[in-house]
Amino acid sequence: MLNVKDLHKKYPNGTHALKGVSFDVTPGEFLVVIGLSGSGKSTLLRCINRLHEPSHGSISFEGNDVTHISGQPLRTLRSNVGMIFQHFNLIPRKTVMTNVLSGSLSRTGILKSIFGLFTEEDKEKAKRFIKIVGLEGKENQRADNLSGGQQQRVAIARALMQNPKVLLADEPVASLDPATSHSVMQYLKKVNEELGVTVICNLHFLSLVRQYASRVIALKGGKLIYEGQPLEIDENWFKTIYGEEAVEVTID
Amino acid sequence: MTTLVQDALPGENKGAGYKKLKKTVRAFGIDLFIWSYMILASWKIIYEKIFIGDRYATFTWNQPLIALGLGALVTLVLFFTRVSIGKAVSGLYESRPERTVLSEPYTILGYVLLIVTFVSGIFISQVSITEFLSASGLHGARRIFTALFNPNFAIIEQALFAAIETIYMAFIATMLALPMAFVIAFFAARNLMNGSKLTMAIYSIVRFFLNVSRSIEPLVWAIIFSVWVGIGPFAGMLALWLHSVSSLSKLYSEQIENISNGPIEAMTATGAHPIQVIWFGVVPQIVLPYLSFTIYRWDINVRMATVIGLVGGGGIGTMLMQYQGLAKWNEVGLLVIIIAAIVWIMDYLSSKIREAIK
Repeated sequence: MLNVKDLHKKYPNGTHALKGVSFDVTPGEFLVVIGLSGSGKSTLLRCINRLHEPSHGSISFEGNDVTHISGQPLRTLRSNVGMIFQHFNLIPRKTVMTNVLSGSLSRTGILKSIFGLFTEEDKEKAKRFIKIVGLEGKENQRADNLSGGQQQRVAIARALMQNPKVLLADEPVASLDPATSHSVMQYLKKVNEELGVTVICNLHFLSLVRQYASRVIALKGGKLIYEGQPLEIDENWFKTIYGEEAVEVTID
Repeated sequence: MTTLVQDALPGENKGAGYKKLKKTVRAFGIDLFIWSYMILASWKIIYEKIFIGDRYATFTWNQPLIALGLGALVTLVLFFTRVSIGKAVSGLYESRPERTVLSEPYTILGYVLLIVTFVSGIFISQVSITEFLSASGLHGARRIFTALFNPNFAIIEQALFAAIETIYMAFIATMLALPMAFVIAFFAARNLMNGSKLTMAIYSIVRFFLNVSRSIEPLVWAIIFSVWVGIGPFAGMLALWLHSVSSLSKLYSEQIENISNGPIEAMTATGAHPIQVIWFGVVPQIVLPYLSFTIYRWDINVRMATVIGLVGGGGIGTMLMQYQGLAKWNEVGLLVIIIAAIVWIMDYLSSKIREAIK
């Protein structure tokens, strides 16, 4: 459903973050991207929903070339691709409900959204997703007063409001403690298995990768150096991906 | 090893030498200024006051030049010892482990500099204990304080109306400043304007005008506007308005510069329209700080309005000026009480409101 071909990204400051990355994503899989900090993982995800402009190469989504679209077609693409972030990126001072409803902005008129007039259908839906991520009863609490794990679950509910076909997760558990990390990963797994949303997720910890991924790709210095099953990553591959001196740290 | 590096990077080495030269020149300049200043102050202010007894120091233009010449001589002699403040400030001294910074010769010179300035300041401000405690002076003070503590309540009606004028004048100045500052702030926010050279040029021009208009006191603007539109609250309002526009623009733009990019990124990623991105990603981050700044500004404007009234800006300040001119101290006493009450109430209310909306 998503094909990335020879993708390059060069930032204005000269950093060459991606150097010809190609891969395909099949519907329903849980694809995990691993690699060191600075290997281009975040850039890769942000190129898919075009928060960053690719410099070269092509991305196609469901058969349509989306590499250089703009305006309404771009917003339609983004509404089909949900995203969650390392630092949650919730709207400060707003309630859980408003935050989740903001996921439906792309199908709500500008004036209606400014006056907070979301449809009854969307409100029902928001409540349902809040329940799915286990935050029932917290609809009217301020989202920035919740714990980190709860905030990330609000972010998942917000992304689900878009009815996404693909969910991009950029280091979703990197600012969370181990127990909370597993809880958030389990919700992502649930979204993937029960709602059938394809997930592309950047992760640091290999133990999480082995537990949740259905397929893994690894980036190093902006290049794709590994593609395969999570359990196939042995000592040698680990050292290739993370460098000779790296020692695996587990999270449980 | 070191020579290897130096051979490999001749350009960098040259740069270091140039940097050191620049620092030395700057250090010399600082020393020259300090010594010339100390010579001039000790000679023209301290020496002449003590030994000649001149009440006011009189200057001719050749005296600073003489001080400069002497200062240059002293600097030349002492620049290569450890009493150079310029070298200390420029970081040209190696620190000595056996001495603390506080006991270094240049620090001691710093103390001397402070003492010279303090003594000169006492003389220039004409500080005089005898006049402060003179019998006739104390008698006058007692007369004024007695009157002030016996306020004349006969004018309370007029005084309250003048106070209301002051509060409303400050409110309108704040309200009219708000929309202008709101728009200007976007052009004065670096993170929104650093996209291209053109926008950076606009940013610099806007910032320049904001800084200039802010550095001219509202008191001065009030004088200008009282000539322009006539003495009265309108002139005072205009003065406060102009100053508020530049202050609020600066505060607002700093707030915009501090917003986090996360919510903006998240809203963009949902496929929202750019206007929705601003409404949901930017506005929630700025609206409360804006409100807080604006209320605080109103508070400041009420205080300033009183002072501006003294130069013809209307309101209770103008009234105070009139009674003070007539030496009607009982009336002045009432006005002072009312002003203090307004300032206290505004201060209390604005801090309570700002706390509540945090």
